[in-house]
Amino acid sequence: MLSKAENDLLTQTNSGTGAGEYFRRYWIPALMASEVPTPDCPPVRIRLLGEDLIAFRDTNGRVGLMDEFCPHRRASLFWGRNEECGLRCVYHGWKFDVTGVCVDMPNEPPEYGFDNKVRISAYPTREYGGLIWTHMGPPDKTPELPKMEWARVPDSHRYVSKRLQECNYLQALEGGVDSSHSNFLHASVDAFRVTDSYVAKIRTSSNLRAKYHLLDKAPRFTVKKTDYGLVIAVRRNAEENTYYWRMTQFLLPSYTIIPYQKGNSIHGHCWVPRDDETCWIWTYTWNPDGPLSQEDLDAIANETFVHAKVEPGTLRPIRNKSNNYGIDRELQRTTTMTGIHGFASQDQAIQESMGTIVDRTTERLGTSDTAIIATRRLLLQEIHALQQGKEPPAANSGDSYWVRSCSLVLNREVEFDEGAREMMIAGV
Amino acid sequence: MRRNPGHIVSVADFSDETLRAMVAALEVSTEFEHLIYRESELDAVWSIAGFALKDEPDVVRREMIARLKETALLAHDLVADSRPREAADALKTLL
Repeated sequence: MLSKAENDLLTQTNSGTGAGEYFRRYWIPALMASEVPTPDCPPVRIRLLGEDLIAFRDTNGRVGLMDEFCPHRRASLFWGRNEECGLRCVYHGWKFDVTGVCVDMPNEPPEYGFDNKVRISAYPTREYGGLIWTHMGPPDKTPELPKMEWARVPDSHRYVSKRLQECNYLQALEGGVDSSHSNFLHASVDAFRVTDSYVAKIRTSSNLRAKYHLLDKAPRFTVKKTDYGLVIAVRRNAEENTYYWRMTQFLLPSYTIIPYQKGNSIHGHCWVPRDDETCWIWTYTWNPDGPLSQEDLDAIANETFVHAKVEPGTLRPIRNKSNNYGIDRELQRTTTMTGIHGFASQDQAIQESMGTIVDRTTERLGTSDTAIIATRRLLLQEIHALQQGKEPPAANSGDSYWVRSCSLVLNREVEFDEGAREMMIAGV
Repeated sequence: MRRNPGHIVSVADFSDETLRAMVAALEVSTEFEHLIYRESELDAVWSIAGFALKDEPDVVRREMIARLKETALLAHDLVADSRPREAADALKTLL
């Protein structure tokens, strides 16, 4: 459990708050590059860390991210005209370039030179991995971009989706590091009940997860602190002399990489606070060795795994709170534990059901919640350190993010970090 | 009893045996990882005590469980503050 003060420190993300300042020390994903696809295209509203912003791509292809509201009369620049290297407020004609400088103020006498003195709050952007990233912290503390493999592979090897989730980022992130929920929330009824037919099916399966999760329902958890965050290792008995290991990566401030089996594509998430009560979920799937397979593309199209379809414009998932996430009670009775289609919607339904911000003073944790406890403690330590003037080392160590997750079977005498070392280094 | 601080104590109850194992682990914990395991054990014993308290009809036992729960919370917060030895001392008062 956490104290109320700790819970507030982790979940409040506006400027000046603990987690809010911490996130502002990193480059964070702001929007898809495809949301501002071409020079002088329409501007896009975006809310990040409690701030209402406007993004636009100027005539030269540069992306600006600035306060949504014109400093003159606070009109929204969403109605603005994106023209000749700047966004012009259509109320009185003030125009701003991507750095936030007012470059034209036609309603004021030119001799006042007022336009040279006016700026709008603007944040730097970078285009990387098909996304527009921004740094919303102090300009003299510009971090390094994280060297993540999914952002570095060719476009054809990667698929990234973005969706809105209507709860605080932390409970969503905690779902990402909590591997013990997958045996229940994402399971079929047959797998949960361990029916004979299911056992027969998975005995010969090449899917290690399906096979060994069944054989050992009481896994052992290990966490290891790293330069970039945590490795969360879960060990299950496999054969007589072997263990099945699954290593999840948690990368500061809020990324995960889901354990993957060699030969398959790799998946992960990033949770970015939109404000204290909503967050953006970025989900990435990539294959370091080649274009995504038809199987991957089908899973994306059919929403069977980590991606979910969204409403254009709002980016709210089609299955959402207002339609009970499309729950099918007959499917739940006969086939899947939730009756909700797709892992992404299953996670969303459960995490949103916990309330917009979970009251962690009343929860009941156990030893299977080790990864959640570790993630919170690490974030709290980092936030406390920042409050005492110590900048987060990971924000300036982009190279340390060059890692993968993994899952594999190792002899019982081999330590996981030794046995998995090579597999956990990224390749691209 | 010397324990490996890298192993999580199996917490199925709040018996003296369980508490002794937790104390022994707290006394040798030094690293971030160890403190995480200790916190998870204390979370578990606090949770179990909370459930037991709800169903306990005997007044004397209720008081004992309430004290244990309170002490587990104190020890939990000491571990969160990187003070495992003091947390061990707190738990010892229950034995």
